[in-house]
Amino acid sequence: MKTAAPVKLENVTKRFGKDVTAVDNVNLDVKAGSLLTLLGPSGCGKTTILRMIAGLERATEGKIFIDSNDVTKLPANLRDVTMVFQSYALFPHMNVFGNVAYGLEVARRPKDQIIKEVDEALAMVGLEGLGERATNALSGGQQQRVALARALVMHPQVLLFDEPLSNLDAKLRKYVREEIRELQQSLGITTVYVTHDQEEALAISDVIVVVNKGKIEQIGSPFELYTQPANKFVADFIGSASFLKAKYDGEILSLADYKIPFKQDIRAGEVIAMIRPEAVILSDDGLSVKVKTAAYLGSMTDFSFESAVGEVIANITGEGFMDIKKGDDLHLQFKTAGIHLLEK
Amino acid sequence: MTDSLRQNRISNAWMAAAMSAIAFLLLPFGRPNRAFLEIDNALRPWNLDPSLSWLVWLVLLAAVSAIVISFLPINTVLKGNLLGLSGLLGLLAGVIWLVSTKTPFGMGALISMILLINVIGYGLSESGRIQSDAFVASSIIFVSLFIILFILYPLYTVLINAIIVDGKFTLTKAIKVLTGQRFIYINNPYTERNEAMLIGISSLIGGLAVAGYSIYNKLKVNKIVIFALIGAAIGFVVGFSAFARGALPTSIGLAAIVATTVTLLGLFLAILGQRTRFGIIKKSLASISLLPIITPPFVLAFAMIFLFGRQGMVTREIFGLRTNELFGLIGVAGAQILAFTPIAYLVIRGSVASLDPALEEASVTLGAGRWTTFRTITWPLLRPALANAFLLTLIESFADFGNPLILGGDRFYLSTEVFSAYSARFDQNEAAVLGLVLLVIVLSIFFAQRRWLGGDSFVTVTGKPSSGKFVELPRAFEGFLIIIFTIWTVLVLSLYGSIIYGSFVKIWGINNTLTLQNYKDFMNQGWPVFLYTAKVAAISAVPAALLGFLIAYLVVRQKFWGRNFVELGSMLSFAIPGTVMGIAYILAFNNGPWLLTSSMVILVLAFIFRNMPVAIRGGIAGLAQIDPSLEEASTTLRASSSTTLRRILVPLLIVPLIGGLIFAFVRAMTAISQVIFLISSGNKLATTLLLGWVEQGQLGRASAMATIMIFSMLAVISLLMLLTRGRGSRGIG
Repeated sequence: MKTAAPVKLENVTKRFGKDVTAVDNVNLDVKAGSLLTLLGPSGCGKTTILRMIAGLERATEGKIFIDSNDVTKLPANLRDVTMVFQSYALFPHMNVFGNVAYGLEVARRPKDQIIKEVDEALAMVGLEGLGERATNALSGGQQQRVALARALVMHPQVLLFDEPLSNLDAKLRKYVREEIRELQQSLGITTVYVTHDQEEALAISDVIVVVNKGKIEQIGSPFELYTQPANKFVADFIGSASFLKAKYDGEILSLADYKIPFKQDIRAGEVIAMIRPEAVILSDDGLSVKVKTAAYLGSMTDFSFESAVGEVIANITGEGFMDIKKGDDLHLQFKTAGIHLLEK
Repeated sequence: MTDSLRQNRISNAWMAAAMSAIAFLLLPFGRPNRAFLEIDNALRPWNLDPSLSWLVWLVLLAAVSAIVISFLPINTVLKGNLLGLSGLLGLLAGVIWLVSTKTPFGMGALISMILLINVIGYGLSESGRIQSDAFVASSIIFVSLFIILFILYPLYTVLINAIIVDGKFTLTKAIKVLTGQRFIYINNPYTERNEAMLIGISSLIGGLAVAGYSIYNKLKVNKIVIFALIGAAIGFVVGFSAFARGALPTSIGLAAIVATTVTLLGLFLAILGQRTRFGIIKKSLASISLLPIITPPFVLAFAMIFLFGRQGMVTREIFGLRTNELFGLIGVAGAQILAFTPIAYLVIRGSVASLDPALEEASVTLGAGRWTTFRTITWPLLRPALANAFLLTLIESFADFGNPLILGGDRFYLSTEVFSAYSARFDQNEAAVLGLVLLVIVLSIFFAQRRWLGGDSFVTVTGKPSSGKFVELPRAFEGFLIIIFTIWTVLVLSLYGSIIYGSFVKIWGINNTLTLQNYKDFMNQGWPVFLYTAKVAAISAVPAALLGFLIAYLVVRQKFWGRNFVELGSMLSFAIPGTVMGIAYILAFNNGPWLLTSSMVILVLAFIFRNMPVAIRGGIAGLAQIDPSLEEASTTLRASSSTTLRRILVPLLIVPLIGGLIFAFVRAMTAISQVIFLISSGNKLATTLLLGWVEQGQLGRASAMATIMIFSMLAVISLLMLLTRGRGSRGIG
């Protein structure tokens, strides 16, 4: 078994034609054996970054290192990297075995070794005994696993995922992503994972990189990104939040008349207070608001309120809000764990 | 550079370089004459004239240094650059030697230089100048060189021969040809009318008519002026082709008549085929549209002699006429109309089929009448396809060679003039000038088509008929269409029937006793030629299909500098009239370093580059249906691009690949205009023999040969249909 390799991007830029800059001066460090997620809206350049690591696109500027080797100009088929594609890209004219064995056959491994390794890979993804099946006779989830087995059987230094779950239904998605995470951790493969689904990113990542318009907005652990987003874009993209006009003097956060003792290392003065919806509590005093909408969702109720400092959104769990109607005047308080201040 | 792992990676280029060196040492660099495989020791590198032979030795030096570079412990980018550079220097040195000494290339030069191209490919790939592996990089260079050598260079020699006579630059030759009476003949002193004035009047009428229409529609002044000028130009062309004589006006008039008629007929048949209530008409249209593919282009012309000539079944037996009217513009136009209508039909069919009936229904519910609906909805949607069919048949008519040759009568036509200038008047400069004129006309149409219509379906004359519910045709209109269809079908079927019948009678119209003599004659004289033609067609079909697919793959799936050049260059050979390509090949490959004439090789090459575009279109259409991530998956699993082609793309595209193969074969079997320049005594082809028999009046054995050809092509095409049935393959045709 090869040891996992780190991946490094230095000032990587990718331009298509003259005008379109898909990736703009990106620096990235993927630690050996870790799972890093590139998260961002569609068209933000995350897939282009992934494809440059795979060698399917070439960086216009900058350097890419795998295991401290400069691979910037190395063709994709000479890199020790495999990829799971969004469409799975299973070869339609080969059965399951043929698909998984393909890379080993190209590498001219001995036949008995190929059979052994393919069987192991299929077992790893829970498809033992299905080698002779045609790929189009499999369910979406099974096809996904064949694609995964085909990538894993090569024991790559780096494993890449391009939105691998987007073609699965919601329930299966949750299950498969846990499987991917378990396999990745048990095998200790350096993994770069692209998704636009923030929940997926939070669930499986060691490190999340938020990408927007070709640039990196923030790099951090899921916890860091959620609790201390660097800017409005990250706060909004990961989870949802209210952004309220506020004043901060280093000790006290003032939202109109509502004052909260609060500690954060930020320049005093006018700030934006990011409030997570689950940090909102209905109260007898605090910020005075008027109910704009209320939607009962079973385990919780979604509210939006109007206030002097901006719109507040809230998910409030529990019962007893059924009689709250549009136009009611209420007061809100915020748990400090769900508050983060941003520069104005 | 931290690349410790790959710093000493040995480049595989050393193998190509070593083979190049071995070929250089074992085989002579040049050859004394047309025999490709002859070993002439005088042309071995060490026996060459020493004043220039150092250039030849550079080829070996390049190969040897490429071997050394491959093993040097330097980083890959530098290594790639050095490999590319040494390969390029060797290649250039070899080419310069061949060109400057005018020695025909030998097998040693061919093999060692092809392998040097492979070395350059490794260089470009490893230096990262082409973002792919050596196979793709080498393919790109090969394909570009092929296009330059076998498409652009021959055309260049046409230009050179038009303006350089006996080694000197001169325009007098061109002017003499272009003002000669065979080319343009305006004022005929033996007629009472004044042709120049008539043409002037015609222009004036055109200009005034359009200007009047524009003023009536209250257009702006500058638009009125432009439209009036266009109208005058159209009036000029009409008058010019109607009153003037000579090759230029005749060809222009012919093309205008044929393209207009054929486009209308194609539209009628397409509407009928799509919307008629009679299933039988739909089915027969589908099979009739196959006819031009399997028929040599001039067979209808000589069948028309059977029906409408001096001994014609219709003209003599039915109407009692003994007339030569068929031979002239009427006959050629008739033959072309019959031959090209299926092409226009196929181009227009796709658009008619993709018309959404809901659009017309929406228009009607908004209060528009039938005529308004047609004018404002249907017509604008069909216009691109009609323009496409029109331009395509214009090109076909200009390029057509066989029909004017057989039915041309006392008129001259551009394409046949090129041939007769070369083969009857032995004037290659005149042929070049005329070829250039034809080339300019056709390329103008080709680029106009690409510019306005995006170049779509130029080669792919297949649409995608979809089954939808269409508004029923008005009875009267459908009746009119059915009458046209019936006349056309009866005419075509009786022409084909007359060929078959004609092959079994002694002398058509004079002695109608049935006989097998024609087939015996054919077996004696035609069969070996037929077999030889099949062999040449088969040999050329394989590289035509493979090269076409390779180009499709490069153009669609690879990004490289010069991609547009490769695409345009390779499609160009399809648009260029065969006669122009024929004169170009004979001028380019008759002597000097690229000596290829009087051999099977040049026939094979001509067929490859003529028929490759069909495979390119098929390949592009096929690749469009394959998810590119399949190839990317293969690449990330360490497969080189040649492995990916072999293991992923070829199996998935096997049907269009075989389709390309069969079409290349059939087109080679039925081609005439280009190869008529290239045949030699030992290298006769079936179509040229057939044409010769027709010209000598040996219509019986010609019919026998045509019958055999039509049925064998039918068999081949049926095989393809059988193969592709239910596979939903499309994009070939």
